Amino acid sequence: MLPDAVLVLAQGGDGFVRDPSEGATSCVAENDTVCIGWAFDNFDRWVTPTLEHLLLVSVSVAAGFLIAFGLALLSHGRRWLVPTFVGVTGVLYTIPSIALFLILLPITGRGTVTAIIALTLYNLQIIYRNIVTGLANVPEASRDAGRGMGMTGRQLLWRVELPLAVPEIIAGLRIATVSTVAIATLAIFAGAGGLGEVIYTQGLQNDVFKTAIVVGSGIAIAMAVAFDAFYLTGQRVISPWRTVRTV
Amino acid sequence: MEAAKAPIEGAEDGAGEALSVEFRAATKVYAGADRPAVDGLSLEVPAGEICVLVGPSGCGKTTAMRMANRMVEITDGDILIGGRSVRERSPAELRREIGYVIQQIGLFPHRTIAQNIATVPALLGWDRERAAARATELFEVIGLEPEMADRYPAQLSGGQQQRVGVARALAANPGVMLMDEPFGAVDPINRERLQNEFLRLQAELRKTILFVTHDIDEAIKMGDRVAVMREGGHLAQYATPAELLMAPADGFVEDFVGADRALKRLALMRVSDIDLWQAPLAYVGQPTAEVRVKLDGAEVPYALAVDSERRPLGWLSEADLRGETVPERPDTSPDPVLDERDVMRDALSDLLQAETRYAPVVDGEGRIAGVLSVEIISEFLTSDDALVEERPAAERPTG
Repeated sequence: MLPDAVLVLAQGGDGFVRDPSEGATSCVAENDTVCIGWAFDNFDRWVTPTLEHLLLVSVSVAAGFLIAFGLALLSHGRRWLVPTFVGVTGVLYTIPSIALFLILLPITGRGTVTAIIALTLYNLQIIYRNIVTGLANVPEASRDAGRGMGMTGRQLLWRVELPLAVPEIIAGLRIATVSTVAIATLAIFAGAGGLGEVIYTQGLQNDVFKTAIVVGSGIAIAMAVAFDAFYLTGQRVISPWRTVRTV
Repeated sequence: MEAAKAPIEGAEDGAGEALSVEFRAATKVYAGADRPAVDGLSLEVPAGEICVLVGPSGCGKTTAMRMANRMVEITDGDILIGGRSVRERSPAELRREIGYVIQQIGLFPHRTIAQNIATVPALLGWDRERAAARATELFEVIGLEPEMADRYPAQLSGGQQQRVGVARALAANPGVMLMDEPFGAVDPINRERLQNEFLRLQAELRKTILFVTHDIDEAIKMGDRVAVMREGGHLAQYATPAELLMAPADGFVEDFVGADRALKRLALMRVSDIDLWQAPLAYVGQPTAEVRVKLDGAEVPYALAVDSERRPLGWLSEADLRGETVPERPDTSPDPVLDERDVMRDALSDLLQAETRYAPVVDGEGRIAGVLSVEIISEFLTSDDALVEERPAAERPTG
């Protein structure tokens, strides 16, 4: 079970009590199964948490990418920095998310900012490592040819190395995004809303209301799948050379 | 490269004029190394020639080449390109003026063939149209179909990729090209084809080329001059291929060019390079009595029947000579008939294969130019002092 402190943290969501008198069906009252019809009838109920979740994921992945990208550029050509950055981001990654929310609480208070900071810190490790791996996997021959034809270090980076690292970078973003979609369901414990509101407050805390738990989880899964499709499409557009038929 | 009909961008902007390359005691000592990788290398490559740097691995040939475009920084000494020290130039600017081809080709996998070829033009700030026009032109020069332009390197075969690598190096029409084992990763058949194509191209382009290889046969084939290097970055000999084969400077070079250097020399010669013997000619219809007179004391003891255009028809046998006049169809066929433009090694091979002592040699019109025999070749090779075994007698195989 969750510690009391965390339960306290979670207070303040719109507490939802199943009340048959508020138009609830018998399915909802009995809570034997998932009430699909009721879930569709109460569509509005899911919209705000979904949008909040989308915001949490988008902002924290984008921020994580920007920071990781900056770190990768910094450690490019200064290879001794790589273990340091991997170590630091790795330590951040191992902190349990709920603990991280608690650590940040006295500094940033309850709310979206705290959740986004925590989620961003989780992303750094995966995204950074993938950018570094992508850059390291650039064929040495392409690098040598580029320099030998008169590219400066910066031209080589932006015209050759980074474009060739795109598939690895996108792979990192895919993993980071999917895991952020999952971890963001705990943002409710930082008071940031999101789908955790549906799963936890409307579901678990509400006499384990199965419909809410299933709907919240379902939306999260759909969101992860949608993000993945978005990245794959993006990669196809940015790196058409990856998908050509080879001889 | 097969279709080198396209006009090749030339002097229009002053670029592309071949420049001489001069190594002046160029030395490279890598940090932490106790011996130089290249030790006081001095050699001059005249503009428009191919200089092959050849030697066993670890002899510093690639390092020497890479010093010319400052991919390797010179520790001591200097390299002048067109009389200008490379040490005074900014590396990036210098490299854009020097074509660069490496064994692994190093095409950019994320760029189309046309974009790959336009790499240096893009760095030089050519406008899009000019770069595209140049790429199209080079497609013709290297013999690639224009529809390859929008493909990616992974869609091309190894040989095609290597051609693109050469085209990319030629794109901005550099005066000097550096080629590091450019055909090393290609199978032997394609390799030979690429070498020949490149030689044809070079005959037209006349670039100054530093060409690195570990293969002495390739060095002899490709080089106007060959620099043989030995371990420790020392220049063992710098000479034309023929000189190298005729007069190796020392035991190292001799071993390196190989025991078959006499045969290699034949590969460098054409039949017309040697003094041929003359057989008594017997014109069809000529009285055999006249022919017999000519046979007396002739270099070749057989009479060759020729038609009125002096085209060989066959060798006259004793039976033929007993007839009244020279027949139109002598008993012995003239085969193999050699062309004076044939490579000497191939001619020798034809002679040996046909198990014949003499073969008529004809000129471009098919007229008799002389007679080649195994004896002439062996005399030519042994009369040359430099080819006489120089090693002490004790090392010679006995028996």
